[in-house]
Amino acid sequence: MASMLATTSPDMEPEDGRVVNQEAITKIREAWIFKQLSQRQSEFTNFSSINLLCCTWNVNAKKLDFDTPNLMSSWLFPPANGDVLPDIVAVGFQEIVDLNAVNVAVDSKAKQRSELWQEQIHKTLNTKTSYTLVSEVHLVGMLLCVYVKNTHIAKVSNVHSATVGVGVMGVMGNKGGVSVRMQFYDSSVCFVCSHFAAHRENVAGRNADFASILNKTSFEIGKEAVQEAVRAGSVSQWASGSSAVGLKDHDFVFWLGDLNYRIDETLSTDEVFVKSNNMEIETLRAHDQLNIERFNNNVFEGFEEGVLKFAPTYKYQPNTDLYECRPDKKLRAPAWCDRVLWHSQNPAHVQQKNYLRSELNISDHKPVMATFNTQVKNIIAAKRQEVYAEVMRTLDKFENQSLPKVDLNKIDVNFGELYYENKASESILVTNSGKVVAHFRLVPKLEDEGLCKDWISVSPTFGMLIPGESMTINFSINLDNKTAQQLNQGRESLDDIIILRLENGRDHYLTVSGTYARSCFGMSLRDLVVIGEPVRDLPLEPKARAEFEKKHPPASLSVPKELWRIVDAINEKGLHEKDLFLTPGFAAEVKQIRECLDTSSDFGLFHVHSMCEALVSFLSSLSEPLVPSSLFPTLEIDQQNIMPWSRRFLEVLPPIHYNCFVYIISFLREVLLFSNSNGLTAQKLARVCSNCMIQSDGGGKNDRSRSMALIFLHFLTTNSI
Amino acid sequence: MSVRHFKLVLLGDTAVGKSCLVVRFVRDEFFEFQEPTIGAAFLTQSVQLDSSVVKFEIWDTAGQERYRSLAPMYYRGASAAIVVFDLSNKDSYNGAKSWVKELMRRGDPNVVIALAGNKADLPPSQRKVETEEAAAYAEENNILYLETSAKNASNVKNLFVEIAKKLPTATAQQERNDTFTIAPAKTEKKNCC
Ligand SMILES: Nc1nc2c(ncn2[C@@H]2O[C@H](COP(=O)(O)OP(=O)(O)OP(=O)(O)O)[C@@H](O)[C@H]2O)c(=O)[nH]1
Ligand SMILES: [Mg+2]
Repeated sequence: MASMLATTSPDMEPEDGRVVNQEAITKIREAWIFKQLSQRQSEFTNFSSINLLCCTWNVNAKKLDFDTPNLMSSWLFPPANGDVLPDIVAVGFQEIVDLNAVNVAVDSKAKQRSELWQEQIHKTLNTKTSYTLVSEVHLVGMLLCVYVKNTHIAKVSNVHSATVGVGVMGVMGNKGGVSVRMQFYDSSVCFVCSHFAAHRENVAGRNADFASILNKTSFEIGKEAVQEAVRAGSVSQWASGSSAVGLKDHDFVFWLGDLNYRIDETLSTDEVFVKSNNMEIETLRAHDQLNIERFNNNVFEGFEEGVLKFAPTYKYQPNTDLYECRPDKKLRAPAWCDRVLWHSQNPAHVQQKNYLRSELNISDHKPVMATFNTQVKNIIAAKRQEVYAEVMRTLDKFENQSLPKVDLNKIDVNFGELYYENKASESILVTNSGKVVAHFRLVPKLEDEGLCKDWISVSPTFGMLIPGESMTINFSINLDNKTAQQLNQGRESLDDIIILRLENGRDHYLTVSGTYARSCFGMSLRDLVVIGEPVRDLPLEPKARAEFEKKHPPASLSVPKELWRIVDAINEKGLHEKDLFLTPGFAAEVKQIRECLDTSSDFGLFHVHSMCEALVSFLSSLSEPLVPSSLFPTLEIDQQNIMPWSRRFLEVLPPIHYNCFVYIISFLREVLLFSNSNGLTAQKLARVCSNCMIQSDGGGKNDRSRSMALIFLHFLTTNSI
Repeated sequence: MSVRHFKLVLLGDTAVGKSCLVVRFVRDEFFEFQEPTIGAAFLTQSVQLDSSVVKFEIWDTAGQERYRSLAPMYYRGASAAIVVFDLSNKDSYNGAKSWVKELMRRGDPNVVIALAGNKADLPPSQRKVETEEAAAYAEENNILYLETSAKNASNVKNLFVEIAKKLPTATAQQERNDTFTIAPAKTEKKNCC
């Protein structure tokens, strides 16, 4: 049978399929700490040598003739034990009363007998020195009394007793075990007095009685006392959290009683009689059922017993020293029914001094006595504290060392100066520099949904590294028009913190940053007309921008200087170029033009198509479109209403937008004058206007933007401006 | 010998000595040139009380201003917090007071707070915050106050022990554990603040 690690909380099964039970981990860990402490017990423990006497006697419901002096004394203080007075005396009886139905059911007779025996033992012990009864427990015929020399009595604590019946129906007290446990100095000691099933052939019954007494005996000593026992290194199965201990949770267990094991049937009854009378102990020992069963690990596992050197203690003709073989009595082969065994957490801490029988003859059993010398713990609390702290420190150290660890070749990703529509990428090398597998992932900040700002993309966002392994995390940025608009308005800045989390470990912060080189692209007309200086010079950061604006009074341009420069440049190149506005420019040139606009420097060389593209993309990039969608006609446009709608449109257009609109339409009408060579038509240019002056929300061109296109066409074809 | 686990967070302005205190407590070492923490360092360490052990799961946070907004990720769910300031730096003391205020407003309602005036080893001439002042503030707010030195180790262990003593006992924690996990999942997201 295997005992299970009990936890109150169920296993958790997270999504990755691993099963985790924190409570189980904690318990296992504490068991480890316990083991470390027990291994170092000697560092914080003084041992004192303590003598014990364990006696057992099946008295067959008889009483000694207490008036005859020395009878009790010859049993409890046999000359063979010398002058040493035991520090602890445990006396166990079986059959203090007849095991009849009345006595099994009613306690009064047993109680009376128990008191009688107690009184006699007490008297006898105290003729030598002062002893105190620590505990008495009886169940039907079984009685156990534990005495401690008065000099030690202050060191006795947590005394508890228990009874287990395993007799009739498996619970009655005609058979079973009674036990007493106590803490003696810092050791825990337990005594069991038991009476197992009778009859030569019933070995299995006896083994079963042992097992059930062992399993059922439990002392409810309270959580505090359990903790105390754990700290003293006395509880073998780690029992933190429990308030009860079992028999084996003691430094020492002494198990005595009428265990009822016989000589096995390979020897005939006659042979056993002969050998018993002739003291052929060795042969008999080899046939002793308990020895055989213990050898086969069927019972008393982990227990020890001294070598039997005395004759079998059962079954005697009362008041004689003869084995019972009278013809009118049931014939019982002699046997060693009466035994004393022990179990010790540390085998070296118990030494049996003597294992004897007494010749008192009132019963059909002879009493058996065993004396022991034990090493009892005396813990030096301060030293234990030290050792404990040391153990914990070692554990903490290992736990800290086994935390996952990674090295990052850098934690700052700085992209330097970044331009409108700039794309760039950088990377960080993550290396597992620890001793365990590292799982990392990027996690959002607090309530954030995403891992980072929209203009950054990171990949991979998670990974696993074995020790020594490396992985590159790539960061790319894309300053699209939307980001540029936010940057221009000071609503966004080019920096972000990305959290790299090591599972079961620390967090690393990765900083991604750059400096935006402001561009007129993605700005608003309103902002542009007040800047006389190159837009590049206007700080992005709101505070710095306010400072700047204080020093540089606002210009009041009718149209942005950038718009004027583009239109002027196209004009200068001439308007007869074929498919003006319809042929794409050169990307590099457009970029260069943008840079020249932003820094107010000369354009240098360029193709007119590039300049036309710059115009279109400048207008489309505006953070507020030249023609706000709110001004689109609300009705379908036809020949009747186009005039009033167009007029109305111009009236509601904000002044700066009005200026720019008029400026551009006038310019485009000029372009149309060259339609012979450039091949353009008003329809074509109206489409160009639709492409760059309005921003249709929601993608597809709706009816209202189509109406707006008709208005553009109207202005291009009529002289209404 | 029951071990109780608690999450503990260190807060405070940069360079006040948070990491040094943790390193002193956990490894009993001191580095004159401790690098600023960029992230949140995690370590565990136990302290022994008379009859139990308290195991701290320590989060050492970044004190630099730019990371301040990330601190709630770490003090959320913490049973204990050490708010550190530098005795030779008045600003850091003011900073500590605002950390205490923030913890009281947004931290766990039962969080055990200790205010630690660090660098107590510096000569009196460099002291900018008087013991009486900080102690009075701590008393007013019903939090612990200790003056520590990560450099000469004074009061460092004591700081953690004092906190451990104020943490709920095994039984009280057991009751809590019925509804809470001991170490809140680090990724846990709450919808409210
Ligand atoms: N004299 C003295 N100096 C200290 C003490 N503790 C820390 N320092 C110094 O203060 C510097 C900063 O300490 P850190 O522990 O890195 O400070 P921190 O609070 O963790 O800073 P961040 O990680 O940026 O939040 C260290 O380099 C130490 O030299 C102390 O007790 N006495
Ligand atoms: Mg730090």
